[in-house]
Amino acid sequence: MSTTAATASAAALPVESSTATLAGKALTIGLVGLALTAIGLFVSGAQIVATSYLVGITYWVAIAIGLLLLVLIHHITDASWSVVIRRQWEHALSAFTWLAVLFLPLLILAWMKPGLIWPWMDLGHEIHGGGTVGADVLYQKKSGFLSLKMFTGATLIFFGTWIWLSARLRQASFAQDADGDAKWTHKNRVTSALGIPLTALTLSFAAIYWVKSLEYHWFSTMYGVWFFTNCMRGGLSVGIIMMMWLLNRGDYKGGVYNANHLHCISTLAFAFTVFWAYITFSQYFLIWNANVPEETFWYNLREVNADGTPNQWKYVGIIAILFGHFFVPFLLMLSYRFKTTPHIIRRIALWILAVILVDLCYNILPALKDAHGDPQPFFSITLVWVLTSVIGIGGVCAWSYLKSFPTTKLIPIRDPRVVESLTHHE
Amino acid sequence: MAAPSYGLIATFDTAPGLYRAAQQVRDAGYRNWDCITPLPVHGLDKAMGLKRSIVPRISLAGGITGFVTGMTMVWWTDAFDYPLLVGGKPMFSPMFAFPVSYELTILFTAFATIIGMFVVNGLPMHYHPVLKHDHIRRGMDDTFFIVIEARDPRFNLANTSALLAQAGGKDIKELET
Repeated sequence: MSTTAATASAAALPVESSTATLAGKALTIGLVGLALTAIGLFVSGAQIVATSYLVGITYWVAIAIGLLLLVLIHHITDASWSVVIRRQWEHALSAFTWLAVLFLPLLILAWMKPGLIWPWMDLGHEIHGGGTVGADVLYQKKSGFLSLKMFTGATLIFFGTWIWLSARLRQASFAQDADGDAKWTHKNRVTSALGIPLTALTLSFAAIYWVKSLEYHWFSTMYGVWFFTNCMRGGLSVGIIMMMWLLNRGDYKGGVYNANHLHCISTLAFAFTVFWAYITFSQYFLIWNANVPEETFWYNLREVNADGTPNQWKYVGIIAILFGHFFVPFLLMLSYRFKTTPHIIRRIALWILAVILVDLCYNILPALKDAHGDPQPFFSITLVWVLTSVIGIGGVCAWSYLKSFPTTKLIPIRDPRVVESLTHHE
Repeated sequence: MAAPSYGLIATFDTAPGLYRAAQQVRDAGYRNWDCITPLPVHGLDKAMGLKRSIVPRISLAGGITGFVTGMTMVWWTDAFDYPLLVGGKPMFSPMFAFPVSYELTILFTAFATIIGMFVVNGLPMHYHPVLKHDHIRRGMDDTFFIVIEARDPRFNLANTSALLAQAGGKDIKELET
């Protein structure tokens, strides 16, 4: 045990190869992506680009929330296996500040041009089928919740909560590297007890305000949980990719990492694949079974045009959501070998990250309607701006992670459970 | 010898001693042998050259059987044997058959896993030749054993005994069946 710990702490010294150049590259890619998205404003107009940008920001916020939840769950369950990887999650949490900054354009746009992205913000907005939002009884009943001021305040509270929790978790964990005091572990446990319900509430309301309210007529009690499962799957996939990145770089030499750590995180990713399917299917099934027009219209939009012909979203739903998001990762991750072979699980993680993006597109983009009230197709210019937004915001997040990366040791070497984690075995 | 022998048993005092001996027995090419330990020894399965269990495959077969049973049952009862229109829904749809199929998938997977585990382990087993060994109860407390069965193709009383002795085994004894 002691020899393992000694070699591990040698490997945990500040890494030799600098990440500064990599961080610079990430920032360049990010800024280029954001610039291209901005150019899109002149090509496709503000509505299409802003909605695409909403996909991008929601995607990275979801992943960051997933990582935040992983750290919170780690502390509340007093987990040991995840000590060696937790530090990377903490580095990634630094991105919340930048995500808040990057969300500001959407808030400003909401005030400048209400109704452009979220139709209910403009009471004079003509709804499909006649009438205005202001005269719509379904809006009037929800107007206490769906108001621009509430939306703005809530968004600020969401980011405030996530930034505050992240800062507390990071500060305590980094401080422990210096003095090795167990009080930091206890402090983080308290933060987590408070943080888990706060994060659960904020992520649910964020999903409702940012995504679900695009079609405010709709009802679904599953929506917050649906978003939660995507957060967890995104966070776990990014966690796997960070582990494999460090493994390939050689940071884990000297006994820091073993296949059992990978098996643990992959098994969690597998579990959340099943949970995602359970939630997503339940939402669809309950609406299908009850067959109430107030609910079914949301899925009808994603299957058929007004004239009854199937649209692209139908095939996105079957191919990408049902098979791509569930069956493919589920069947692959049943295998122990796939879960513990670095280059295979890394590809599965990348695949999951790609289909989460498609899932968000499926939930957000059909809010953009054409002249007949039909949703814009999946394969359109919109997808280009989704990709530039995802690359742009992702580049900034990667830069934030890489900038934080060299500031501390690779693993929390004085965590009370670090030796238990280094010798982790299934 | 009059009675046929089950095999040889050797005693080890420490887990590392057993671990190294297991590696030697594995490298000597034996197949029908086992370790008896009072506690789980991490990595012993690799030292023994054991492959992963086939139980997960039995579980998968059980799961697929359960899923197919559920879908078929709902189709048979609702759409074929006694067609019944409920709530304006189709006679058969994988949608409403899914909850039942999903539950049966889990149930049959659990059955297959438990039964598969018992069958693969040869359980229930009310008698085993090692129980005749004088100190076998210490295998539940503080002592480690390696048992090499006589049915192993490489088994040879003199050579196997020498291997166990050379690997550090003490109190090497022959077991009756």
